[in-house]
Amino acid sequence: MEKDTLIMSFESSCDETSVAIIKNGKEILSNIIATQIKSHQRFGGVVPEVASRHHVEEVTRCINMALDEAKVGYSDLDAVAVTYGPGLVGSLLIGIMAAKTVAFAHNLPLIKVNHLAGHIYSANFVTDLQYPFMSLLVSGGHTEIVLVTAPGVFHTLGDTRDDAVGEAYDKIGRILGINYPAGKKVDQMAAKGKDTFNFPRAMVQEDNLDFSFSGLKSAFINRVHHADQVHEQLNKDDLAASFQGAVLDILSNKTFRALKQHPVKQLIVGGGVSANQGLRKRLAEEIEKRHMDMELVFPPLRLCGDNAAMIGAMAQIQYDKGDFAKLDLNADPSLDFDME
Amino acid sequence: MKILAFDTSNKPLSVAVVVDGKVLAHIESTEKKTHSVSLLPDIQDGLQEAGLTVNDIDLIAVAKGPGSYTGVRIAVTVAKTLADTLNKKLVGVSSLKLLAANGDKKHLLVPLMDARNDNAFAGVYVTNRDGRLLTVIADHHTSMANLFETLKQYEPNELEFINATPRLQELIQKQFPEATIIMSENSLPAAGKLAKIAETTKPVKDIDNFIPTYLRLTQAEHDWYAKGNKEDKNVSYVEEI
Ligand SMILES: [Zn+2]
Repeated sequence: MEKDTLIMSFESSCDETSVAIIKNGKEILSNIIATQIKSHQRFGGVVPEVASRHHVEEVTRCINMALDEAKVGYSDLDAVAVTYGPGLVGSLLIGIMAAKTVAFAHNLPLIKVNHLAGHIYSANFVTDLQYPFMSLLVSGGHTEIVLVTAPGVFHTLGDTRDDAVGEAYDKIGRILGINYPAGKKVDQMAAKGKDTFNFPRAMVQEDNLDFSFSGLKSAFINRVHHADQVHEQLNKDDLAASFQGAVLDILSNKTFRALKQHPVKQLIVGGGVSANQGLRKRLAEEIEKRHMDMELVFPPLRLCGDNAAMIGAMAQIQYDKGDFAKLDLNADPSLDFDME
Repeated sequence: MKILAFDTSNKPLSVAVVVDGKVLAHIESTEKKTHSVSLLPDIQDGLQEAGLTVNDIDLIAVAKGPGSYTGVRIAVTVAKTLADTLNKKLVGVSSLKLLAANGDKKHLLVPLMDARNDNAFAGVYVTNRDGRLLTVIADHHTSMANLFETLKQYEPNELEFINATPRLQELIQKQFPEATIIMSENSLPAAGKLAKIAETTKPVKDIDNFIPTYLRLTQAEHDWYAKGNKEDKNVSYVEEI
């Protein structure tokens, strides 16, 4: 029997400090997540300097909790992995410095992981991945369609030209009086409302796989401002349903366009917005409607947001390839697949 | 006692390995290197030069701020993680006190970190008979005008300003022409001195809660409090989920 691989992984790219212990890239022995949402809610969004300060406060606590919960010690570990981008530079640096220190102190190999790859490999805890597979990455920072042709081999097929989808949710959420992060509440309101406002579906006619959400966001804001000026009462649930209706049309249009060009056996959805119930329902319906023989995979809710477990899943692939980083590793805030 | 000391609280980076008071390795860089890139390789090189492994170290000493926010976070994160993961003692020393260690023992020492717009982080220190630095005025963030007002009670020719930028030098010379001024390039923080100060400093009790000394709220928090908001002691701003 082959020896198990235990990886300690770090994630600190935005406002979650997370440390996990992952066995063979498949099994979560621990996945500690310290979230700063309540802090940033004071300011209506993530404040980078505040986020960095919180990471320093949490980092060793998370390390020790991860070891305790996994019931392992440093001598059981085979490698240390860390998100090195994309993300907020000040936030990334705390995870990177801590991971490099643990790797150095215990003489363990260091693995630098792309945060986006981590989101995609959250699915590794749910199913056996079959290559090639398609991935839809939807979060507050990213909206991408990525074809994964082999373990750790990514091809970005489509990207957002302006706002990320989660960012659009937060911005229109503010108009609806919902504090950041607004996604969950808008999703709930949308479930109660009707798509009556006919907001624009940007770029759905265009024969490419890119997204745009700024036009939708502007249309939404203009509609609400106009109503305010003429003292017209708008139904907030209908507004939410109309916004989400447009978002889902755009996401599903581009995703299935990509799937038509690259037929695969699995569609993996990852990132914070993959927790959206409307999106889960819509993609399932579309697959059924098209009679596609394709597995639709969503991570469990705990693994939709940022977490270190997903970094450990991706790190295992790099570990197997011997793809290790050095102690001079730096953050790469605007890292993308095509740059590696 | 084997001490590993490092400072990245400003532009220079300094790493030292000191064994029983003797500096066995000293790595300094003044050119603009990225601290996040250099710090661990420099620690590794320093230990190698001293013929030690990181496991041999008894105490980690770090300059904990004030200074560049990112800079102090880099050193503090490495220091607390290293101390925690290897179960070593940890000592945090004021970055200003470390600069004061470059001063003349007879002077009233005023280490500075330029905080832009004629503001600075500053403290006032004296050296006692044993050569130890004692705090006269605690480190604080101040306008230079207010600092000068505070310093008027002292003999101007006894004052020594340390780590002045050209702009701060200009302001100081106008106010205290008799004072000694040491420019930044001549007052590099030396980790060897940091190790020495650490020997007589109490170790950190709670490593998890060891954080940099920023001496300033973030702008967002400052604005939030200014709006009349109060910190809710019952809310933990960071929570495990
Ligand atoms: Zn993410």
